[in-house]
Amino acid sequence: MAMAIDDAAELDFSAYSTSTTTTTSATTTTTDDEYGCNWNDWSPVVDWNTLSGGQDDFQDLIESMIDESGLQPALSAVNYQEGCNSPSTDTTMFTDEEPSGDDLKGLRLVHLLMAAAEALTGVNKCHELARVILVRLKELVSPTDGTNMERLAAYFTEALQGLLEGAGGGHGKHLISGGPQRDDHHHHQTDVLAAFQLMQDMSPYVKFGHFTANQAILEAVTQHRRVHIVDYDIMEGIQWASLMQALVSRKNGPPAPHLRITALSRGGNGRRSIGTIQEMGRRLTAFATSIGQPFSFHQCRLDSDKTFRPSSLKLVRGEALIFNCMLHLPHFSYRAPESVASFLSGAKTLNPRLVTLVEEELGPIGDQGFVSRFIDSLHHYSALYDSLEAGFPMQRRARALVERVFLGPRIVGSLGRIYRTRGDEEGGSWRERLGATGFRPVDISFANHCQAKLLLGLFNDGYRVEELASNRLVLGWKSRRLLSASIWSSPFDSDS
Amino acid sequence: MTIEEAEPNPHVLGWIEDSVPLFPSFLDDPYDPAEINGYNWWDPNQDFAHDLINTSSASIASTVTTADSNTHADTTAVTTHTATDPTAAATTNHSEESVKQETSKKRKASLGNQDHTRRRNRSVSTIENPGSFNVKAAKPVLGGVKRPSSKKRPAMSSGNNSNGGNKEGRWAEQLLNPCAAAITANNLTRVQHLLYVLHELASPTGDPNHRLASHGLRALTYHLSPSTSLPSSAPFTFSSAEPRFFQKSLLRFNESSPWFAFPSNIVNSSILQVLSDEPDKSRNLHIVDIGVSHGAQWPTLLDNLSRRPGGPPPLVRLTVISPTGEGGNADIPFSMAPPGHDVSPLLLGFAKTLNINLEINRPSKLPLQSLNPQSINTSPDETLIVSAQFRLHYLSHSDRTEFLKSVRALSPKGMILTENNENCACAGCVDFATGFSRRIEYLWRFLDSTSAAFKGRETEERRLMEGEAARALTSTAEMNEGRERWCERMREAGFTGEGLGEDAIDGGRALLRKHDGNWEMKVEEDGGSHCCVSLGWKGQPVSFCSLWKLTPTSPDDY
Repeated sequence: MAMAIDDAAELDFSAYSTSTTTTTSATTTTTDDEYGCNWNDWSPVVDWNTLSGGQDDFQDLIESMIDESGLQPALSAVNYQEGCNSPSTDTTMFTDEEPSGDDLKGLRLVHLLMAAAEALTGVNKCHELARVILVRLKELVSPTDGTNMERLAAYFTEALQGLLEGAGGGHGKHLISGGPQRDDHHHHQTDVLAAFQLMQDMSPYVKFGHFTANQAILEAVTQHRRVHIVDYDIMEGIQWASLMQALVSRKNGPPAPHLRITALSRGGNGRRSIGTIQEMGRRLTAFATSIGQPFSFHQCRLDSDKTFRPSSLKLVRGEALIFNCMLHLPHFSYRAPESVASFLSGAKTLNPRLVTLVEEELGPIGDQGFVSRFIDSLHHYSALYDSLEAGFPMQRRARALVERVFLGPRIVGSLGRIYRTRGDEEGGSWRERLGATGFRPVDISFANHCQAKLLLGLFNDGYRVEELASNRLVLGWKSRRLLSASIWSSPFDSDS
Repeated sequence: MTIEEAEPNPHVLGWIEDSVPLFPSFLDDPYDPAEINGYNWWDPNQDFAHDLINTSSASIASTVTTADSNTHADTTAVTTHTATDPTAAATTNHSEESVKQETSKKRKASLGNQDHTRRRNRSVSTIENPGSFNVKAAKPVLGGVKRPSSKKRPAMSSGNNSNGGNKEGRWAEQLLNPCAAAITANNLTRVQHLLYVLHELASPTGDPNHRLASHGLRALTYHLSPSTSLPSSAPFTFSSAEPRFFQKSLLRFNESSPWFAFPSNIVNSSILQVLSDEPDKSRNLHIVDIGVSHGAQWPTLLDNLSRRPGGPPPLVRLTVISPTGEGGNADIPFSMAPPGHDVSPLLLGFAKTLNINLEINRPSKLPLQSLNPQSINTSPDETLIVSAQFRLHYLSHSDRTEFLKSVRALSPKGMILTENNENCACAGCVDFATGFSRRIEYLWRFLDSTSAAFKGRETEERRLMEGEAARALTSTAEMNEGRERWCERMREAGFTGEGLGEDAIDGGRALLRKHDGNWEMKVEEDGGSHCCVSLGWKGQPVSFCSLWKLTPTSPDDY
């Protein structure tokens, strides 16, 4: 318990506090490093470049696989016969000899996973085929052994198995102890905390979202005496420990405003129980007291169907209202879209000063529904796995813990969701939906951008940050965009 | 008959010593031996055939021997002994003649009160003895695989519960056909993806889907890169098989599956039917065998001929038209025997024991197109019957009717046509993807039914048969046509469908009863006559057999 708090207390905000004057350019170039699994190198027998016309990353490759027409230019009728020699030779090759390495095995796994996904939902839907492929996959992978791709494939296999068996239930019940709901009955609290800590140390994922949101909040409330943050998923509250530190250490600024945090609580669902939130609230209160931050903590219970009712929120006139919506790892991966929607639409009615949103970045949504979303998901998590490995190549057990506690259940949950909606969730990303419902983009400051770059500078070279819109920063690993942080304000004048 | 005269050559002897089941049982043939006046069913001369057949399947012979007679308490022992030297055995059995005749009489008496003696064989072998005692007796001889006989019956009908025509369970096709389609569409990435997946799932053993994936993957690879040598796991084929193993596999398969046994049965019945229509019983019989049975179907016919009223024809001539091995015709699955395979000595020896005067001609390298009275040496005083089984579909569509006309020019008394009942897969008719999916469909039926026939057991014989069938995937000679089209061509060539008699139809039905319940036959009612019988597996057409006579065009013809 103390671990998270201690960690928060030790957060180094020097980067933040000096960011306004620092011009250090963090590297954002993508270079092949010795840790990363370069997807392009995966197949010793297939020259993907010749096949794909120079597309240089896995995403393109995968897209091209599912896009029937994507590669036509590279396959003119003239060179067809010549081109065809390639796969046939390959086939012969791996018929004659054992696959020579991890790379080839990874490629085989990707092909099998894709085929299984297709067999579950595709035009040629064939559950028997999916079953046979999954049997084969299980022979090849384990969630605790092997390469990144093998461990990752194990979770995907498990997720698909759940879909096959439960017709979309998505409850992984074989290899993975968690379901789509992060069910903490299955994980020791210490495991969760340790995994959380490791995740934070091993990658910028946690801090990127929190820091970017916090910086935007700090900039938005400079003139306010009272700040009220409504937090959709407060988790360990670590985001607010760092915000409090920032508030009390503002140079030349006004005294720290009164900070009120309302955590949404969900009845009866594992760790999100009210009791646990109260416990966390006590810790935050204690921490605030220790650094001299005026603070009060509340909770607001969601309806039984996880719907947020604005009327259940206790508001105080004159406070700057902030809606904070963190949907990225390790925040609980998946809330019912209806629940998130109720939170954001509720925000709209309450005219908040700011809405901070961090969500996972999806690839372009193809026209093949589940299969293309599945592949996108595979790509996403493989980038995550690779980045964790690149950052801590020797910390195998630590990574395994993070994978088991956070990534595995998240994969199972997210595939279940994709499967149930057949890949077409309305509106795609939440930021698009915010924009569409009239929320106004709030520019991300130069300082905020620099802070993100500095943060990434603490980690592996493979990370990069992009400002894809004036109100949106995206964190990526190599060529894959993973997290998107965006800042919004109420459609209406919120000067209160 | 002396021992010296009939001494089989060492090759045949060695073959027999393996206790290989030699010929399919003729005893389920409905041809009615009771019609043969005074014919002694248990003629000791027949013991050679008797014992050969006895070893080969769940036959009435073993039932009778085991159940009725103490003299043959151990069928296997007799078989082995006999098989070592058939002639000697036949001679030895002379001493047992009286015993046997007595047994035979008893048996006849017991059967005599049946109204329908026509059904006698079948009723003894399959109806009155639905249990599998005979099976049990014959089983140890069948390749040494010992299984509790009690499993026999349930296993036979196990296919009834399988998925029938439902494609859901046929997953291999869900990869193979899209892959072929992607090849046709030049979508190399997709092709490669599917090849990867196929490679992961293909297996030369296991359930029919894994096998289909394996054969299909090889065929696709071959198609994509014909110059690539086929992978080391290339299956066996007839032409590369060891001759004795080849023979053994063929017979074993015919016992287990009606794929070829059924058409052979119908052909033999049809030949007898044509003969019985001929007023002059003293004419020679000349059969032109354009087939894939490699001799395996003829012992049954010879036996039936020997039991014919008035005895067998004075001379039975068999002209075997083998593939020339040149051009496309070597490409037809099941048509090429391995070099060195020659069933003639055995057939001749067998005929001798039946007192049938058999003559076998094998015109070498005779293309089908050169078939004429000279090349096959017809004579005016013989009854000529042409039997074409699974061979004509290699003739190009345009040559086909022409060839049938040339057959008509031989003025046969009967023409029996057996062919795959499916649509053409050749490059001239359909694109690669469509053709490939049709070939896959054919192979699926073969693998699925063969799996049922072998009850899932892995044997080398099964591998050989399946490997040979899989050649249909790459063969350029697969130019099938549906039954209707073939019949149309026959009529164009000057043939008229001849109704198949009840003997043939009942015989086919009886044969199918011994096999998996998913097999079915259908008598096609074309123009009122039952000139065609279709064989189907799980509701899908496999093959058809049809009997034809010349359409009278001028008084000369008849």
